[in-house]
Amino acid sequence: MRAMRAIAANTFREAIRDRILYLFVGFAVVMVVSSKLFGMLTVGDETKIIKDIGLAAMQFFSMLIAVMMSMILISREVDNRTVFNILAKPVRRWQFILGKYLGLVTIVGANLLLITVVLMLTVLVVTGELDLMLCFAGAMTMLEMMVLAAFATLFAVLTRPILGSLMTLAVFVVGHLSADLWLLTRQIPGALTRAVIAIVYYLLPNLERFNFRTEVVHDLSISGAAVGWAVVYAIAFIIVVLFLANLRFRGKDLK
Amino acid sequence: MGGDRRGFDSDGILKGIGGSFMKEIALSVQDLQKTFHPGLFEASIEVLKGLSFEVASGEIFGFLGPNGAGKTTTIKAITEIVYPDAGDIIICGLPHTSLEAKRRLGFMTESPYFYRHLTGREFLRFCGELLALDRSDLGDRIARVLGEVGMEGRADRTMGTYSKGMLQRVALAQALLGDPELLILDEPMSGLDPVGRRDVRDIILARAAAGVTIFFSTHIIPDVEMICDRVAMIVDGRVRAIGAVSEMMSEQAVSYEATFVGAMPSDLQTPLEAHHVASGVSWVRVATENRDQLIRELGEHGAQVVSLNPVRTTLEDLLMRHYEETGS
Repeated sequence: MRAMRAIAANTFREAIRDRILYLFVGFAVVMVVSSKLFGMLTVGDETKIIKDIGLAAMQFFSMLIAVMMSMILISREVDNRTVFNILAKPVRRWQFILGKYLGLVTIVGANLLLITVVLMLTVLVVTGELDLMLCFAGAMTMLEMMVLAAFATLFAVLTRPILGSLMTLAVFVVGHLSADLWLLTRQIPGALTRAVIAIVYYLLPNLERFNFRTEVVHDLSISGAAVGWAVVYAIAFIIVVLFLANLRFRGKDLK
Repeated sequence: MGGDRRGFDSDGILKGIGGSFMKEIALSVQDLQKTFHPGLFEASIEVLKGLSFEVASGEIFGFLGPNGAGKTTTIKAITEIVYPDAGDIIICGLPHTSLEAKRRLGFMTESPYFYRHLTGREFLRFCGELLALDRSDLGDRIARVLGEVGMEGRADRTMGTYSKGMLQRVALAQALLGDPELLILDEPMSGLDPVGRRDVRDIILARAAAGVTIFFSTHIIPDVEMICDRVAMIVDGRVRAIGAVSEMMSEQAVSYEATFVGAMPSDLQTPLEAHHVASGVSWVRVATENRDQLIRELGEHGAQVVSLNPVRTTLEDLLMRHYEETGS
């Protein structure tokens, strides 16, 4: 446990000393704050537009941070061979994988927290009200990023950094489209195509399960069951994907 | 591989030059095999072909071989960075995969691979956490090893600013941090200046004097001759020779060199390997079996022999012979 914590803490420290992270965070904060400008320029409820754009920016930049940082922090550890020093010590390979994952999730969480606070302050300035539902939206985005970070960890041990980044990005895109694809199968005549889409649907996460943006922006009621299922769904995916990452890394010769 | 284990008998007794003395085995590697499969369209590379050796507790053991002989792969297998296809590795009586075995091990990689964002001190603290060292005295421990490697004044700079020599020193410091029973050093002196080499050598000798077993991989022969008790020569994935350094160097006198006053006799019948004449003094080298004939002939010619010295086989000669035998 101590080794895992040390690896996570080192991963976090490495990230916060990396300028790339600040570039992403800076863009995200600028995007959230400038949502006020979009609100002023667009016809409609300014507050809703600020929340909508702010939450979209939160999700997009969190995804970018998760994808980029996972590749930098995990692949670099293997490519730069700093991992040799860790694995020659009393540390199991699964502890390394989990430590890196936890470090990555902490980075994404810290940035998400910062972006959420900036969005809440922006909304507070515009409306004079503190919208706590934005925290809920942030938490659900965090859940989505935890799933995505698990995939990024898997791809980092499975393949080269750039390909791994692209594959994680593909999971993000397909994950947000898979529900629509599933609905599309009803319109497609071919059994084979339907089978392929079904496989994609079940193998990749349906990330729309974590999307409560419409409900938060429009103050709609949120089903407790939907939230509960999203949590269970995320945990199940994280466990399975990290298990696969560990399985791959456990037998891997490092050169 | 029985011939490879010349320094030991079947009970794990290390045979010294002056007889036998009981020793515990700190590291045992038996019949280690490893083949790498680079890719679909590339041929497999058999790196280790049944490598076996044992290192006794408290000795400085040199692991000598050319680049590509399998030294680093062996070390990576010992430290569980690569997985051998076959063979057994025992560290201090424990399987090398056990955490307890790894706690007793200090390892320094061939090239220092470190985190550029950490300071030397932060890096050692990270290593201390990985080793699960007591936090209450971790600071003191870190200060002690930093002092030992001569890095105390530069420990609070980020490692991205370190020279190669400084990284080597920090690498050694992290290997020493857990007070290991077995220290595995992969090319610890490569890239160091003479002062650095001397410092590292002194640290190794001091730790060995304190009872730490040192397993020391290198392709620099003078390093081995200077500090190792025993040496294994690895060529093409196999141990080709193993034994006490002094024994290997003195055992095989292949020729003799004679110096005598006067010119070289023109009708000398003894086959010479080499000869040279300068300032009224002649120097010749003959094979061992021709030594007596040379002395007799020089006596017959009334030459005044100044010196007659055996030319002993050096580790370099032995290693070169093994290269040639294997076509390496």
